[in-house]
Amino acid sequence: MQCKQTFEEVLNERGISRRSFLKYCALTAAALGLSPLMASKIAHAIETGPRTPVLWLHGLECTCCSESFIRSSHPTIEDILFNMISLDYDDILSAAAGTQLEEVRRRIMKEYKGKYILAIEGNIPTKDDGVYCLVGGDSFLNTVKETAADAAAIIAWGNCASFGCVQNAHPNPTGAAPVSDIIKNKPIVKVPGCPPIAEVMTGVIAHFHTFGTLPELDRLGRPKAFYNTRIHDKCYRRAFFDAGMFVESFDDEATKKGWCLYKMGCKGPTTYNSCSKIQWNGGTSFPIGSGHPCIGCSEPGFWDNGPFYGRLAKVPFLGSDSNADKVGIVAVGAAAAGAAAHATVTALKKAKQGGEENKDNA
Amino acid sequence: MGRIIEEIYVWRLPVRLYHWINAICITVLFATGIYIASPVLVHPPGEAVWQKGMAWWRYVHFASAFIFIANFLFRMYWAVFGRDTYARFGGFRPWSPSWWGKPFREQLESYLFLRSDEPNYAGHNPVAALAHFLFIFCGSVFMILSGLAMFGENNPGGAMSTWFGWMLPLFGGSYGLHYAHHIVTWIFPFYLVVHLYAVLRHDVVDRTSVTSSIITGYKHKVEEEPT
Repeated sequence: MQCKQTFEEVLNERGISRRSFLKYCALTAAALGLSPLMASKIAHAIETGPRTPVLWLHGLECTCCSESFIRSSHPTIEDILFNMISLDYDDILSAAAGTQLEEVRRRIMKEYKGKYILAIEGNIPTKDDGVYCLVGGDSFLNTVKETAADAAAIIAWGNCASFGCVQNAHPNPTGAAPVSDIIKNKPIVKVPGCPPIAEVMTGVIAHFHTFGTLPELDRLGRPKAFYNTRIHDKCYRRAFFDAGMFVESFDDEATKKGWCLYKMGCKGPTTYNSCSKIQWNGGTSFPIGSGHPCIGCSEPGFWDNGPFYGRLAKVPFLGSDSNADKVGIVAVGAAAAGAAAHATVTALKKAKQGGEENKDNA
Repeated sequence: MGRIIEEIYVWRLPVRLYHWINAICITVLFATGIYIASPVLVHPPGEAVWQKGMAWWRYVHFASAFIFIANFLFRMYWAVFGRDTYARFGGFRPWSPSWWGKPFREQLESYLFLRSDEPNYAGHNPVAALAHFLFIFCGSVFMILSGLAMFGENNPGGAMSTWFGWMLPLFGGSYGLHYAHHIVTWIFPFYLVVHLYAVLRHDVVDRTSVTSSIITGYKHKVEEEPT
């Protein structure tokens, strides 16, 4: 088992010089937004700490988080898997399968009790005893509960594990639930996105290994280092938003000029992620960069916050699809109609009263 | 027309000022808010760097929001410490069963045509007080809290985001909060219709000059027309 080696030993074996090693530590500190003094702490942790065992479970998911993860470019996936973490169980990436692999999971859970990281990709169907997702002959619900019991911390990869994603969008037939609904007594760091940015995923692991604690989280449980600001506030199209210059349809002149996608339903103003800073695929681009509005994939309930290509959310109203403004106009109209009806009744009553008085007088 | 037989000074200057500043703020906030949600005007000509189409609407929205908040806080001060019989919170106790008793019931019955006589109040009648509480007090509190939470999103970790950011998870994130802020804004035009109708109707039916009282401060009673 490689996981007993320290990182320094691994690096020595691979012929990495002391100089490049320290450079790497300084770069990591810079990438995590830490003070330059922290570089030596990172170096110390890497030199002395044993590699953190990671158990990676896959539940109800599409594997796009893994796809994203294996495309990490700073550092690369080979680096992560062979030199950084000790990925001891991953039923997608492992060469072994079946009984042998499940055996490894149980052994790590015993040998590294309370020290391993449990990474969960996908969410957990809860209806009918979790029958909608069976892995290794048991329901995923049981596997998660069993594996989480001795974990040091849990990383919820992607929007599925963090907030539920498409599986628990309305009407949620399988009762799919995010990890935080099932496991209540362990620290959970949510790394949402559909998928999350590869460098964000590796950054979270690096933080946990270096400091032995979870990174600082925002109010929804996401690491602040990556999810503190909105896409909108760092978007390179922001100047067009402030100027009031918007794309009106995907084939107009404004699209060619790269104006703001707000009116195309861009969820950038309500989405917290690093897309507009770190970008994707080694900084190649990100959705807004390629002319598509942000769909808010790192936010809770983003599938139900539809439609993707409109600003105002749909409201089921009187059996039809409507939006907030239509509902509001109907309500104000109803108030006006009610007032008019009330006024009419008042007038009729008055007239009747007047008539009766006249009759009395006569 | 009948002779004015009694004049009561009901709405003191601070209350009247509050009322009109509030009315103007809500109008501006509603208009700019709807525009920010769906910017319908055509884009300005020229380069983005010379334009501030959306920035201006947002600036006006935020500026009037802060005036609205200050005005609201002032009114709260006046309601608690103002020693103003007609503008204080003293008599308004919707949590108490006795408050829902006879006066409230009679006023509601009168509105629903279940009784022919109109109870007469110099200040707010109990039904009006409840409506103001639900729409203007609760509505304003919600719009202020959610608005400040969203304003704080511009500057994560800043004062506004620290003090009011707890609103975000309450509504399932930024989108949910924006959405709630947007839909709750519609209670204000709804309320406006009901409010204007009620005021004008009282003027016509009771002839107590409710409408002009919010400008002059005086309500009066009119002698019935001699038959």
